[in-house]
Amino acid sequence: MKILVTFKSVPDPYAGAGAAAKSVINPFDEIAIEEALRMRERGEATEVVGVTIGPAQVDEQIRSALAMGIDRALRIDDSRALDPYALARILYSLVTKEAPQVVLMGKQAVDDDSNQVGQMLAGLLGWPQATFVSKIEFLDDKKRARCGRETDSGIEVIAVKLPAVITADLRLNEPRYVSLPGLMKARKKPIETLTCEQLGVKVEPLTTILSISSPPRRPSGVRVTSVEELIAKLKEEAKVL
Amino acid sequence: MDFAWSDQQKELLAAVDRFVKEQLNYDMIENDRNAVFNHDAWKKCAGFGIQGLPVSEEYGGLGQDPLTTVAALERLGYGCKDNGLLFSINAHMWTAIIPLIFNGNEAQKKKFLPGLVDGSLIGGNAMSEPNSGSDAFALATTAVKKGAKYILNGSKIFVTNGPIADVLLVFAATDKSKGAQGISAFLVEKEFPGLDLSHKIEKMGIRTSPMGEVFFEDCEVPEENLLGKEGAGSWMFTRSMTWERGSILAAHVGTMQRLLETCIRYANERKQGGQSIGKFQQVATKIVEMKMRVERSRHALYHYGWAMNHRKAVYMEAALAKLEISDSWVKCCEDAIQIHGGYGYMVEYEIERELRDSLGSKLYSGTSEIQRNIVASLLGL
Amino acid sequence: MAKTVVLIELDRGQLKRPSLNAITLARQLGSDYALLILGHSLNEVASSLVSYGASTVLVADNPALAEPLADRYAWVIAEAMRKLSATTLLASSSTFSKDILPRVAALVDAPMVTDVLALEQENGETAFRRPVNAGSMLATVRLSGERRVLTVRATAFPTPAADAAPCPIEPFEFDPASLPNDTEFISREERASDRPDLGEARVVIGGGRALRDKESFDRLVGGLADSLGGAIGATRAAVDTGLAPNDYQIGQTGKVIAPDLYIALGISGAIQHLAGIKDSRIIVAINKDPDAPIFQVATYGLVADLHQVVPQLIGAIKAG
Repeated sequence: MKILVTFKSVPDPYAGAGAAAKSVINPFDEIAIEEALRMRERGEATEVVGVTIGPAQVDEQIRSALAMGIDRALRIDDSRALDPYALARILYSLVTKEAPQVVLMGKQAVDDDSNQVGQMLAGLLGWPQATFVSKIEFLDDKKRARCGRETDSGIEVIAVKLPAVITADLRLNEPRYVSLPGLMKARKKPIETLTCEQLGVKVEPLTTILSISSPPRRPSGVRVTSVEELIAKLKEEAKVL
Repeated sequence: MDFAWSDQQKELLAAVDRFVKEQLNYDMIENDRNAVFNHDAWKKCAGFGIQGLPVSEEYGGLGQDPLTTVAALERLGYGCKDNGLLFSINAHMWTAIIPLIFNGNEAQKKKFLPGLVDGSLIGGNAMSEPNSGSDAFALATTAVKKGAKYILNGSKIFVTNGPIADVLLVFAATDKSKGAQGISAFLVEKEFPGLDLSHKIEKMGIRTSPMGEVFFEDCEVPEENLLGKEGAGSWMFTRSMTWERGSILAAHVGTMQRLLETCIRYANERKQGGQSIGKFQQVATKIVEMKMRVERSRHALYHYGWAMNHRKAVYMEAALAKLEISDSWVKCCEDAIQIHGGYGYMVEYEIERELRDSLGSKLYSGTSEIQRNIVASLLGL
Repeated sequence: MAKTVVLIELDRGQLKRPSLNAITLARQLGSDYALLILGHSLNEVASSLVSYGASTVLVADNPALAEPLADRYAWVIAEAMRKLSATTLLASSSTFSKDILPRVAALVDAPMVTDVLALEQENGETAFRRPVNAGSMLATVRLSGERRVLTVRATAFPTPAADAAPCPIEPFEFDPASLPNDTEFISREERASDRPDLGEARVVIGGGRALRDKESFDRLVGGLADSLGGAIGATRAAVDTGLAPNDYQIGQTGKVIAPDLYIALGISGAIQHLAGIKDSRIIVAINKDPDAPIFQVATYGLVADLHQVVPQLIGAIKAG
């Protein structure tokens, strides 16, 4: 069984304020990579192929994914600011070419927070989808996958026929760290580069960011020194009690 | 002269930073109090590749050069506060792995190196004896050949990793009449009959690194566990000691960097008389001197690593690095406590432990006095 | 002819009230809108929706839609959009809409915007404001193409009034045999709670890792919530250490809330958590660490050990 795992390069969300934000693999995608690797280690998957879309700068994150242990990596060379639908259409053409049984990715990228690509890709492919997944088990000789999904009202369990698109939530697993032996091995693995033209897909983003602004700051509050003072403020000033 | 790291070195060092930050930032106060060795962290370090840094890929290692290795260890020390774990790792690398790499035959390397690299085996060496410390080659422990075996008798003290070791490199006299030329080295495995590793010694600092006394009572060592030739022990010890001296404190250049940053933060945050204490000249001066020590130590370390990379004689560089870093570490800890005032003396602030951990660095792997003797003799004195 | 479809969310047959807030954006967009509900045995819910000013309440009622399976729901919604010649699809943000709407977008060849906070006009063009980077920045985006799909932050739009003349209820007819059949619903966690829903509660008490154990979490966070009739939330760290179930998580990857009163107990205030609470009207923070970032957004901050002051607070509230 072949697994295609997609990942995006994002500014490190845990970098301290003011620190120059280093790029990292989107944390949710890292979870997806980990899950694919575990499937291979359990003997369920035979090949894990990683794919990302971006300019040559993202090769650093590709090397991290290779160092984690994916078998090979593809970069679709495109430096445009693409929207989720454009990304989904590019991935669609790649998936039809690579023909994996499972496409795994993070449920959202933590820079853009859109949470769309996996569902769009599944829609374009006509494949079933399992989103926000915190548990995956294969059923019926890997013809189906049983997935626990994190929903607003608790865990929902569904079974999807393969091939399917699965998007990872936080608690699916804890990704392994990149080890030095992994890093050394990764140096020997090639990174294949493709263009949209080679894939035969033509996309233009339909979403344009016109401006970016800072949200209004909350007015600074006050410190209280005791429970009594807090209760008094909540009653008399805020009128919430 | 080029002070820049290559892209590959940068990538490797960044991976160490991330590993340490995510995997080794555990609570140390209890472990120190109870002198607990962190086996899990040991395994994690091995899995990540630390123990195998200088070992060739053939035996599961990374084949890194000495300079890259010490730089990686520096990063490890910056993030990891468990000085005992670092000490155990260093003892394992410099006193077990390195002698094996240089003196082991193919069968010995194949048997021990992969396990020493992947963390399933813990190694160390046993040299010092109750009556021979700095005078290292005056050994009372003897090894007598009997058929296909050597029979060891005697005892060793201050054996780092002794209580948890799977294999110890033991130095013993095979021919007392030849003095230093009559010393041989043996790979003694923990299950050999006549070996007693059970005597743990309690220490002032680096308490999470187990240390013990080791006793040999007609301990049987098969002849294939003789490392190198008979009589080659002291030469072997001197050679690996150069690695040990130069590298063993690499992590603590990172420790000092962390202490420096802690002090800068504290000096900026802590207010007295309406201003941050960092504005007081006496505090600022201490911090500037701390910075100077960190930089001197780092340069001494990298210079040693660079000299090793170029295979020049490095006795001088190794001794200077050991002296500089150990003196600086102790002084940085004292100053850090002084800057923190009463808080620095409290266990919760985790600086008093650093001072306790640092003091041993002037003793192990050759005392500061011995290092000065080496430098003096190399200067022709 | 309706140009906008507003998908209204049901949870086990019950109306999810925050999902109505998407109607407010539909009104701001100015065109006719239809409300769409999917499920089984929907007569009662459908009739509760007739006064929201829609042109029609469209009801896809079929046993095959009893559970919200994305492939089926998306197929039906796309069909409904085509039938109505709708160009816009709206729903309030939730795991329900985020699962289904992007799939619909792909089926109707439309771009999508997640978590719309406001409608804007830039140079005479319609644009949408949305949070990015865990809400630390706001982006204003424009969509091109004929159709568009949007999810809206329910907390950013008021609940619409139900004061219009009743509109017709129309069944949406489709052939169940043509529904996708690749997903099987197996189970859903049932957790009985007397407390209000986290997304709808007027008062929310949030707990962080400082609660240390589940007993303290239940006693202090639960106790304070119950004394105020509020809901319980938690930080990622608290969920990761097993103090609270996953669906209590508030923040960038969990729920976004905007209650009248949010009380943060032992929460340091990571940006990912703040993303989920900063639209609350009043924020109270109780934390031992005076430098915790949560105090920068708190209306009232109390530097104290929560194990000591929360029991006092519960006592004082109960005493009236």
